[in-house]
Amino acid sequence: MSGNNEHNEHHDDGHGGGHHVNYFAIYVALVVLFLISVAGPEVGRITGLPWITLITAFGIALVKANLVIDNFMHLKWEKRLMKWLLTTSVLLMVLMVAGISPDVLNHEGNNWENLAAKEATARGLGGDDHGDGDHAEEGGAAEVAEAAPAGFSAAGSFGTVCATCHGAGGQGDGPAGMALDPKPANFTDPAFWEGRDRARIVTVIRDGAAVVGGSALMAPWGALYTPEQLEEMADYVMSLRPN
Amino acid sequence: MANAKPLATLRSATGIPTGRLAVWWVLASEVVIFGGLLGTYIMHRLGHPEWAEAASHTQTWIGAINTFVLLTSSFTAVLAHQAAEKGNGKEAAKLLGFTILGALTFLVIKSFEWANEISHGYTITANTFWSFYYTAAGLHALHVIAGAIIMGVVAVDAYRGRELHRVELIGIYWHFVDVVWIFLFPLLYIAK
Ligand code: HEC
Repeated sequence: MSGNNEHNEHHDDGHGGGHHVNYFAIYVALVVLFLISVAGPEVGRITGLPWITLITAFGIALVKANLVIDNFMHLKWEKRLMKWLLTTSVLLMVLMVAGISPDVLNHEGNNWENLAAKEATARGLGGDDHGDGDHAEEGGAAEVAEAAPAGFSAAGSFGTVCATCHGAGGQGDGPAGMALDPKPANFTDPAFWEGRDRARIVTVIRDGAAVVGGSALMAPWGALYTPEQLEEMADYVMSLRPN
Repeated sequence: MANAKPLATLRSATGIPTGRLAVWWVLASEVVIFGGLLGTYIMHRLGHPEWAEAASHTQTWIGAINTFVLLTSSFTAVLAHQAAEKGNGKEAAKLLGFTILGALTFLVIKSFEWANEISHGYTITANTFWSFYYTAAGLHALHVIAGAIIMGVVAVDAYRGRELHRVELIGIYWHFVDVVWIFLFPLLYIAK
Protein backbone atom coordinates (compact mmCIF):
# COMPACT_ATOMS: atom_id res chain seq x y z
CA MET A 1 0.00 0.00 0.00
CA SER A 2 1.68 3.25 0.99
CA GLY A 3 5.38 3.40 1.52
CA ASN A 4 4.93 4.73 5.01
CA ASN A 5 6.59 2.48 7.54
CA GLU A 6 4.21 3.02 10.36
CA HIS A 7 1.31 2.62 8.08
CA ASN A 8 2.54 -0.80 7.03
CA GLU A 9 3.18 -1.74 10.58
CA HIS A 10 -0.31 -0.67 11.33
CA HIS A 11 -1.58 -3.16 8.78
CA ASP A 12 0.59 -5.91 10.15
CA ASP A 13 -1.05 -5.79 13.52
CA GLY A 14 -4.04 -7.62 12.13
CA HIS A 15 -6.33 -4.78 13.07
CA GLY A 16 -6.50 -2.32 10.23
CA GLY A 17 -7.45 -4.07 7.03
CA GLY A 18 -8.77 -7.29 8.50
CA HIS A 19 -12.43 -6.42 8.94
CA HIS A 20 -15.03 -4.89 6.74
CA VAL A 21 -17.67 -2.85 8.41
CA ASN A 22 -20.48 -1.31 6.47
CA TYR A 23 -19.96 2.11 7.97
CA PHE A 24 -22.93 3.58 6.20
CA ALA A 25 -25.25 0.95 7.64
CA ILE A 26 -23.91 1.69 11.12
CA TYR A 27 -24.44 5.40 10.54
CA VAL A 28 -28.04 4.85 9.41
CA ALA A 29 -28.66 2.71 12.48
CA LEU A 30 -27.25 5.47 14.71
CA VAL A 31 -29.48 8.10 13.11
CA VAL A 32 -32.58 5.92 13.44
CA LEU A 33 -31.80 5.25 17.11
CA PHE A 34 -31.22 8.95 17.60
CA LEU A 35 -34.62 9.80 16.12
CA ILE A 36 -36.28 7.29 18.43
CA SER A 37 -34.57 8.84 21.44
CA VAL A 38 -35.84 12.29 20.43
CA ALA A 39 -39.35 10.95 19.95
CA GLY A 40 -39.21 9.13 23.29
CA PRO A 41 -40.57 11.91 25.54
CA GLU A 42 -43.48 12.50 23.14
CA VAL A 43 -44.34 8.81 23.13
CA GLY A 44 -44.03 8.78 26.90
CA ARG A 45 -46.40 11.71 27.19
CA ILE A 46 -49.01 10.40 24.75
CA THR A 47 -49.03 6.92 26.28
CA GLY A 48 -48.71 8.27 29.81
CA LEU A 49 -45.82 5.88 30.45
CA PRO A 50 -42.87 8.02 31.56
CA TRP A 51 -40.54 5.04 31.87
CA ILE A 52 -40.60 4.80 28.09
CA THR A 53 -38.56 8.00 28.05
CA LEU A 54 -35.97 6.48 30.36
CA ILE A 55 -35.55 3.50 28.07
CA THR A 56 -35.45 5.54 24.89
CA ALA A 57 -33.08 8.04 26.46
CA PHE A 58 -30.55 5.89 28.29
CA GLY A 59 -31.12 2.44 26.78
CA ILE A 60 -30.62 3.90 23.33
CA ALA A 61 -27.61 5.94 24.46
CA LEU A 62 -25.95 2.71 25.58
CA VAL A 63 -26.74 0.97 22.29
CA LYS A 64 -25.50 3.93 20.27
CA ALA A 65 -22.30 4.24 22.30
CA ASN A 66 -21.73 0.54 21.83
CA LEU A 67 -22.16 0.79 18.07
CA VAL A 68 -19.70 3.67 17.87
CA ILE A 69 -17.14 2.07 20.16
CA ASP A 70 -17.27 -1.31 18.43
CA ASN A 71 -17.46 -0.25 14.81
CA PHE A 72 -16.04 3.26 14.53
CA MET A 73 -13.38 3.01 17.20
CA HIS A 74 -12.83 -0.64 16.29
CA LEU A 75 -12.55 -1.69 19.88
CA LYS A 76 -14.17 -4.94 18.82
CA TRP A 77 -10.98 -5.85 16.97
CA GLU A 78 -8.57 -4.29 19.40
CA LYS A 79 -6.19 -6.32 21.56
CA ARG A 80 -7.80 -7.59 24.73
CA LEU A 81 -5.39 -5.57 26.84
CA MET A 82 -7.08 -2.39 25.67
CA LYS A 83 -10.54 -3.60 26.58
CA TRP A 84 -9.28 -4.38 30.08
CA LEU A 85 -7.72 -0.99 30.41
CA LEU A 86 -10.94 0.79 29.44
CA THR A 87 -13.08 -1.53 31.52
CA THR A 88 -10.90 -0.73 34.50
CA SER A 89 -11.57 2.96 33.97
CA VAL A 90 -15.29 2.40 33.79
CA LEU A 91 -15.19 0.21 36.90
CA LEU A 92 -13.24 2.84 38.85
CA MET A 93 -15.85 5.38 37.87
CA VAL A 94 -18.70 3.10 38.93
CA LEU A 95 -16.88 2.46 42.21
CA MET A 96 -16.64 6.18 42.86
CA VAL A 97 -20.31 6.76 42.12
CA ALA A 98 -21.36 3.77 44.19
CA GLY A 99 -19.25 4.96 47.10
CA ILE A 100 -20.57 8.49 47.12
CA SER A 101 -24.16 7.95 46.10
CA PRO A 102 -25.50 6.98 49.56
CA ASP A 103 -24.36 10.38 50.81
CA VAL A 104 -25.62 12.35 47.84
CA LEU A 105 -28.89 10.58 47.14
CA ASN A 106 -29.97 10.67 50.78
CA HIS A 107 -30.29 13.89 52.63
CA GLU A 108 -30.01 12.31 56.03
CA GLY A 109 -28.54 9.24 57.66
CA ASN A 110 -28.19 7.65 61.07
CA ASN A 111 -26.29 10.51 62.59
CA TRP A 112 -26.13 13.18 59.95
CA GLU A 113 -28.44 15.48 58.09
CA ASN A 114 -27.70 17.51 54.97
CA LEU A 115 -29.58 20.69 55.82
CA ALA A 116 -28.48 22.61 52.74
CA ALA A 117 -29.70 19.88 50.40
CA LYS A 118 -32.98 19.51 52.29
CA GLU A 119 -33.63 23.21 52.21
CA ALA A 120 -32.68 23.46 48.56
CA THR A 121 -35.17 20.74 47.75
CA ALA A 122 -37.91 22.18 49.93
CA ARG A 123 -37.37 25.62 48.47
CA GLY A 124 -37.17 24.34 44.90
CA LEU A 125 -40.35 22.31 45.18
CA GLY A 126 -42.32 24.58 47.47
CA GLY A 127 -40.89 27.75 45.98
CA ASP A 128 -42.83 27.09 42.81
CA ASP A 129 -46.22 28.34 44.07
CA HIS A 130 -44.37 31.14 45.73
CA GLY A 131 -42.88 32.31 42.48
CA ASP A 132 -46.15 31.95 40.61
CA GLY A 133 -47.93 33.94 43.29
CA ASP A 134 -45.46 36.78 43.04
CA HIS A 135 -45.81 36.94 39.32
CA ALA A 136 -49.56 36.72 39.47
CA GLU A 137 -49.48 39.92 41.48
CA GLU A 138 -47.48 41.52 38.73
CA GLY A 139 -50.35 40.91 36.35
CA GLY A 140 -50.38 37.14 35.86
CA ALA A 141 -47.45 37.22 33.49
CA ALA A 142 -46.77 33.51 33.43
CA GLU A 143 -44.35 33.99 30.56
CA VAL A 144 -42.23 36.17 32.77
CA ALA A 145 -42.08 33.40 35.32
CA GLU A 146 -41.03 31.12 32.50
CA ALA A 147 -38.13 33.32 31.52
CA ALA A 148 -36.91 34.24 34.99
CA PRO A 149 -34.40 31.73 36.33
CA ALA A 150 -33.81 30.93 39.97
CA GLY A 151 -31.29 33.76 40.25
CA PHE A 152 -30.92 35.94 43.29
CA SER A 153 -33.86 36.50 45.57
CA ALA A 154 -33.59 37.83 49.09
CA ALA A 155 -36.06 35.25 50.37
CA GLY A 156 -34.14 32.51 48.60
CA SER A 157 -30.81 33.64 49.95
CA PHE A 158 -32.21 34.01 53.44
CA GLY A 159 -33.46 30.43 53.11
CA THR A 160 -30.03 29.12 52.12
CA VAL A 161 -27.64 31.25 54.12
CA CYS A 162 -29.42 32.66 57.14
CA ALA A 163 -32.16 30.14 57.89
CA THR A 164 -29.74 27.54 59.26
CA CYS A 165 -29.35 29.81 62.29
CA HIS A 166 -32.24 32.25 62.15
CA GLY A 167 -34.83 29.69 61.04
CA ALA A 168 -36.84 29.71 57.85
CA GLY A 169 -39.30 32.15 59.36
CA GLY A 170 -36.59 34.29 60.99
CA GLN A 171 -37.67 33.32 64.48
CA GLY A 172 -34.15 32.49 65.59
CA ASP A 173 -34.99 28.80 65.66
CA GLY A 174 -32.82 27.46 62.84
CA PRO A 175 -31.37 23.98 63.35
CA ALA A 176 -27.81 25.25 63.70
CA GLY A 177 -28.90 28.15 65.89
CA MET A 178 -30.13 25.99 68.75
CA ALA A 179 -26.67 25.36 70.08
CA LEU A 180 -25.46 28.94 69.81
CA ASP A 181 -24.91 31.35 72.65
CA PRO A 182 -26.14 34.02 72.26
CA LYS A 183 -29.12 32.73 70.34
CA PRO A 184 -29.56 34.02 66.80
CA ALA A 185 -31.81 37.07 66.66
CA ASN A 186 -35.56 36.46 66.42
CA PHE A 187 -36.76 38.96 63.84
CA THR A 188 -40.42 38.37 64.67
CA ASP A 189 -39.94 39.42 68.27
CA PRO A 190 -41.02 43.06 68.86
CA ALA A 191 -38.40 43.29 71.63
CA PHE A 192 -35.65 42.67 69.11
CA TRP A 193 -36.66 45.71 67.13
CA GLU A 194 -36.40 48.11 70.04
CA GLY A 195 -33.58 50.48 69.23
CA ARG A 196 -32.76 48.85 65.92
CA ASP A 197 -33.20 50.52 62.55
CA ARG A 198 -32.63 49.56 58.97
CA ALA A 199 -29.15 51.09 58.79
CA ARG A 200 -28.04 48.86 61.63
CA ILE A 201 -29.45 45.78 59.92
CA VAL A 202 -27.53 46.61 56.73
CA THR A 203 -24.33 47.12 58.73
CA VAL A 204 -24.76 43.86 60.62
CA ILE A 205 -25.43 41.79 57.52
CA ARG A 206 -22.44 43.34 55.77
CA ASP A 207 -19.91 43.56 58.59
CA GLY A 208 -21.17 41.15 61.22
CA ALA A 209 -22.70 41.79 64.65
CA ALA A 210 -19.29 42.25 66.29
CA VAL A 211 -18.93 45.74 64.81
CA VAL A 212 -22.07 46.88 66.65
CA GLY A 213 -20.94 45.23 69.87
CA GLY A 214 -22.74 41.96 69.28
CA SER A 215 -21.49 38.42 68.97
CA ALA A 216 -19.01 37.31 66.32
CA LEU A 217 -21.25 34.29 65.79
CA MET A 218 -23.22 36.57 63.50
CA ALA A 219 -20.52 36.68 60.86
CA PRO A 220 -20.10 39.34 58.15
CA TRP A 221 -21.90 38.26 54.97
CA GLY A 222 -21.01 41.28 52.84
CA ALA A 223 -18.89 39.24 50.45
CA LEU A 224 -21.97 37.28 49.38
CA TYR A 225 -23.97 40.23 48.12
CA THR A 226 -23.76 43.15 45.76
CA PRO A 227 -24.77 46.47 47.38
CA GLU A 228 -28.24 46.20 45.82
CA GLN A 229 -28.64 42.64 47.02
CA LEU A 230 -27.54 43.73 50.46
CA GLU A 231 -30.36 46.28 50.49
CA GLU A 232 -32.79 43.57 49.43
CA MET A 233 -31.58 41.34 52.25
CA ALA A 234 -32.14 44.14 54.72
CA ASP A 235 -35.61 44.74 53.25
CA TYR A 236 -36.36 41.09 53.70
CA VAL A 237 -35.27 41.09 57.33
CA MET A 238 -37.28 44.29 57.90
CA SER A 239 -40.32 42.61 56.37
CA LEU A 240 -40.26 40.05 59.19
CA ARG A 241 -40.74 42.81 61.75
CA PRO A 242 -44.11 42.50 63.45
CA ASN A 243 -46.29 45.61 63.25
CA MET B 1 11.85 10.17 7.89
CA ALA B 2 10.98 6.98 9.65
CA ASN B 3 14.52 6.43 10.84
CA ALA B 4 14.61 9.79 12.54
CA LYS B 5 11.70 8.83 14.77
CA PRO B 6 12.36 7.87 18.36
CA LEU B 7 12.57 4.13 18.72
CA ALA B 8 9.62 4.01 21.08
CA THR B 9 7.22 5.04 18.36
CA LEU B 10 8.28 2.16 16.15
CA ARG B 11 8.20 -0.80 18.46
CA SER B 12 5.51 -2.11 20.67
CA ALA B 13 5.55 -4.64 23.46
CA THR B 14 1.78 -4.84 23.54
CA GLY B 15 1.32 -5.56 19.84
CA ILE B 16 -0.65 -2.33 19.63
CA PRO B 17 0.97 0.47 17.62
CA THR B 18 2.41 2.99 20.07
CA GLY B 19 0.33 5.90 18.85
CA ARG B 20 -2.89 4.00 19.22
CA LEU B 21 -1.88 2.70 22.61
CA ALA B 22 -1.33 6.30 23.66
CA VAL B 23 -4.75 7.39 22.41
CA TRP B 24 -6.41 4.57 24.33
CA TRP B 25 -4.56 5.63 27.46
CA VAL B 26 -5.80 9.17 27.00
CA LEU B 27 -9.34 7.89 26.58
CA ALA B 28 -9.06 5.64 29.63
CA SER B 29 -8.32 8.72 31.70
CA GLU B 30 -11.03 10.70 29.90
CA VAL B 31 -13.53 8.03 30.90
CA VAL B 32 -12.76 8.82 34.53
CA ILE B 33 -12.88 12.59 33.98
CA PHE B 34 -16.22 12.64 32.18
CA GLY B 35 -17.49 9.67 34.14
CA GLY B 36 -16.83 11.42 37.43
CA LEU B 37 -18.57 14.56 36.25
CA LEU B 38 -21.59 12.81 34.75
CA GLY B 39 -21.82 10.38 37.67
CA THR B 40 -21.89 13.27 40.10
CA TYR B 41 -24.51 15.02 37.99
CA ILE B 42 -26.72 11.92 37.93
CA MET B 43 -26.47 11.50 41.71
CA HIS B 44 -27.45 15.10 42.34
CA ARG B 45 -30.19 15.01 39.74
CA LEU B 46 -31.71 11.98 41.45
CA GLY B 47 -31.26 13.48 44.90
CA HIS B 48 -32.82 16.80 43.94
CA PRO B 49 -36.26 16.43 42.39
CA GLU B 50 -36.52 20.22 42.17
CA TRP B 51 -33.90 20.24 39.40
CA ALA B 52 -36.60 19.03 37.04
CA GLU B 53 -37.84 22.61 36.82
CA ALA B 54 -34.44 23.97 35.77
CA ALA B 55 -33.83 21.03 33.43
CA SER B 56 -37.12 21.68 31.64
CA HIS B 57 -35.62 24.86 30.20
CA THR B 58 -32.89 23.22 28.12
CA GLN B 59 -33.66 23.40 24.41
CA THR B 60 -34.19 19.86 23.20
CA TRP B 61 -34.20 20.69 19.50
CA ILE B 62 -30.86 22.42 19.61
CA GLY B 63 -29.39 19.49 21.50
CA ALA B 64 -30.93 17.12 18.96
CA ILE B 65 -29.50 18.96 15.96
CA ASN B 66 -26.08 18.94 17.58
CA THR B 67 -26.38 15.22 18.27
CA PHE B 68 -27.07 14.66 14.60
CA VAL B 69 -24.13 16.88 13.61
CA LEU B 70 -21.72 14.94 15.83
CA LEU B 71 -23.01 11.54 14.67
CA THR B 72 -22.47 12.62 11.09
CA SER B 73 -18.99 13.94 11.83
CA SER B 74 -18.13 10.60 13.42
CA PHE B 75 -19.26 8.93 10.21
CA THR B 76 -17.00 11.13 8.06
CA ALA B 77 -14.14 10.52 10.51
CA VAL B 78 -14.41 6.76 10.12
CA LEU B 79 -14.62 7.16 6.34
CA ALA B 80 -11.41 9.19 6.52
CA HIS B 81 -9.83 6.31 8.40
CA GLN B 82 -11.00 3.93 5.69
CA ALA B 83 -9.49 6.16 2.98
CA ALA B 84 -6.22 6.40 4.90
CA GLU B 85 -6.06 2.61 5.16
CA LYS B 86 -6.27 2.47 1.39
CA GLY B 87 -3.38 4.92 1.27
CA ASN B 88 -5.55 7.68 -0.17
CA GLY B 89 -4.29 10.66 1.78
CA LYS B 90 -6.11 13.28 -0.27
CA GLU B 91 -9.46 11.60 0.25
CA ALA B 92 -8.71 11.17 3.94
CA ALA B 93 -7.84 14.85 4.22
CA LYS B 94 -11.08 15.83 2.51
CA LEU B 95 -13.15 13.66 4.83
CA LEU B 96 -11.32 15.02 7.85
CA GLY B 97 -12.20 18.45 6.47
CA PHE B 98 -15.88 17.51 6.58
CA THR B 99 -15.40 16.31 10.16
CA ILE B 100 -13.85 19.65 11.11
CA LEU B 101 -16.81 21.34 9.46
CA GLY B 102 -19.05 19.24 11.70
CA ALA B 103 -17.05 20.33 14.75
CA LEU B 104 -17.40 23.99 13.77
CA THR B 105 -21.13 23.62 13.12
CA PHE B 106 -21.50 22.04 16.53
CA LEU B 107 -19.64 24.92 18.18
CA VAL B 108 -21.57 27.63 16.34
CA ILE B 109 -24.90 26.06 17.29
CA LYS B 110 -23.70 25.68 20.86
CA SER B 111 -22.65 29.31 21.12
CA PHE B 112 -26.08 30.47 19.93
CA GLU B 113 -27.71 28.11 22.38
CA TRP B 114 -25.64 29.38 25.29
CA ALA B 115 -26.00 33.02 24.31
CA ASN B 116 -29.75 32.57 24.29
CA GLU B 117 -29.78 30.85 27.66
CA ILE B 118 -27.45 33.35 29.28
CA SER B 119 -29.53 36.25 27.98
CA HIS B 120 -32.51 34.69 29.76
CA GLY B 121 -30.56 34.64 33.00
CA TYR B 122 -29.70 30.94 32.98
CA THR B 123 -26.06 31.49 33.82
CA ILE B 124 -23.55 29.10 35.35
CA THR B 125 -24.29 30.59 38.77
CA ALA B 126 -28.09 30.51 38.48
CA ASN B 127 -28.27 27.22 40.39
CA THR B 128 -26.50 23.89 40.65
CA PHE B 129 -28.29 22.40 37.67
CA TRP B 130 -27.01 25.14 35.41
CA SER B 131 -23.55 24.84 36.94
CA PHE B 132 -23.45 21.21 35.91
CA TYR B 133 -24.96 22.03 32.55
CA TYR B 134 -22.27 24.52 31.62
CA THR B 135 -19.44 22.54 33.19
CA ALA B 136 -20.28 19.26 31.47
CA ALA B 137 -21.17 20.73 28.08
CA GLY B 138 -18.27 23.19 28.36
CA LEU B 139 -15.71 20.49 29.09
CA HIS B 140 -17.13 18.57 26.16
CA ALA B 141 -16.95 21.65 23.91
CA LEU B 142 -13.27 22.09 24.85
CA HIS B 143 -12.72 18.55 23.61
CA VAL B 144 -14.49 19.42 20.37
CA ILE B 145 -12.22 22.44 19.91
CA ALA B 146 -9.07 20.44 20.66
CA GLY B 147 -10.19 17.67 18.32
CA ALA B 148 -10.88 20.11 15.49
CA ILE B 149 -7.43 21.68 15.82
CA ILE B 150 -5.61 18.33 15.90
CA MET B 151 -7.69 17.11 12.98
CA GLY B 152 -6.56 20.13 11.01
CA VAL B 153 -2.92 19.24 11.62
CA VAL B 154 -3.49 15.58 10.75
CA ALA B 155 -5.44 16.50 7.63
CA VAL B 156 -2.64 18.71 6.30
CA ASP B 157 -0.16 15.84 6.74
CA ALA B 158 -2.55 13.33 5.25
CA TYR B 159 -3.09 15.52 2.22
CA ARG B 160 0.64 15.26 1.54
CA GLY B 161 0.50 11.51 2.06
CA ARG B 162 2.32 11.67 5.39
CA GLU B 163 1.56 10.05 8.76
CA LEU B 164 -1.59 8.42 7.47
CA HIS B 165 -1.89 6.22 10.57
CA ARG B 166 -2.71 9.36 12.53
CA VAL B 167 -6.03 9.61 10.72
CA GLU B 168 -7.18 6.59 12.66
CA LEU B 169 -5.80 7.95 15.92
CA ILE B 170 -7.59 11.26 15.77
CA GLY B 171 -10.67 9.33 14.63
CA ILE B 172 -10.67 7.21 17.77
CA TYR B 173 -10.48 10.33 19.88
CA TRP B 174 -13.24 11.97 17.86
CA HIS B 175 -15.58 9.01 18.27
CA PHE B 176 -15.00 9.22 21.99
CA VAL B 177 -16.06 12.87 21.95
CA ASP B 178 -19.15 11.72 20.09
CA VAL B 179 -19.81 8.99 22.66
CA VAL B 180 -19.62 11.51 25.50
CA TRP B 181 -22.22 13.63 23.75
CA ILE B 182 -24.38 10.55 23.18
CA PHE B 183 -24.68 10.42 26.99
CA LEU B 184 -24.86 14.16 27.58
CA PHE B 185 -27.78 14.50 25.19
CA PRO B 186 -30.26 12.35 27.12
CA LEU B 187 -28.90 13.55 30.46
CA LEU B 188 -29.27 17.26 29.75
CA TYR B 189 -31.99 17.41 27.10
CA ILE B 190 -34.20 14.33 27.04
CA ALA B 191 -34.75 13.14 30.61
CA LYS B 192 -36.65 16.10 32.00
C1 HEC C 1 -23.95 30.86 62.15
C2 HEC C 1 -25.30 31.28 62.49
C3 HEC C 1 -25.83 32.54 61.82
C4 HEC C 1 -26.04 32.75 60.48
C5 HEC C 1 -25.77 31.77 59.34
C6 HEC C 1 -26.62 34.06 60.37
N1 HEC C 1 -26.72 34.64 61.58
FE1 HEC C 1 -27.51 36.47 61.94
N2 HEC C 1 -27.15 36.18 63.93
C7 HEC C 1 -26.60 35.05 64.50
C8 HEC C 1 -26.47 35.25 65.94
C9 HEC C 1 -25.92 34.22 66.92
C10 HEC C 1 -26.98 36.53 66.20
C11 HEC C 1 -27.06 37.23 67.53
C12 HEC C 1 -25.85 38.07 67.71
C13 HEC C 1 -25.89 38.79 69.02
O1 HEC C 1 -26.90 38.75 69.70
O2 HEC C 1 -24.88 39.41 69.33
C14 HEC C 1 -27.40 37.10 64.92
C15 HEC C 1 -27.93 38.35 64.77
C16 HEC C 1 -28.37 38.87 63.56
C17 HEC C 1 -28.97 40.20 63.41
C18 HEC C 1 -29.19 41.20 64.49
C19 HEC C 1 -27.89 41.87 64.88
C20 HEC C 1 -28.13 43.04 65.80
O3 HEC C 1 -27.66 42.96 66.93
O4 HEC C 1 -28.75 44.00 65.34
C21 HEC C 1 -29.29 40.32 62.10
C22 HEC C 1 -29.94 41.52 61.43
C23 HEC C 1 -28.90 39.10 61.44
N3 HEC C 1 -28.34 38.25 62.35
C24 HEC C 1 -29.07 38.87 60.09
C25 HEC C 1 -28.61 37.76 59.46
C26 HEC C 1 -28.70 37.54 58.04
C27 HEC C 1 -29.40 38.47 57.07
C28 HEC C 1 -28.09 36.38 57.79
C29 HEC C 1 -27.90 35.73 56.43
C30 HEC C 1 -27.16 36.48 55.49
C31 HEC C 1 -27.62 35.83 59.04
N4 HEC C 1 -27.94 36.68 60.02
C32 HEC C 1 -26.95 34.63 59.15
C33 HEC C 1 -26.22 33.91 63.86
C34 HEC C 1 -26.26 33.73 62.50
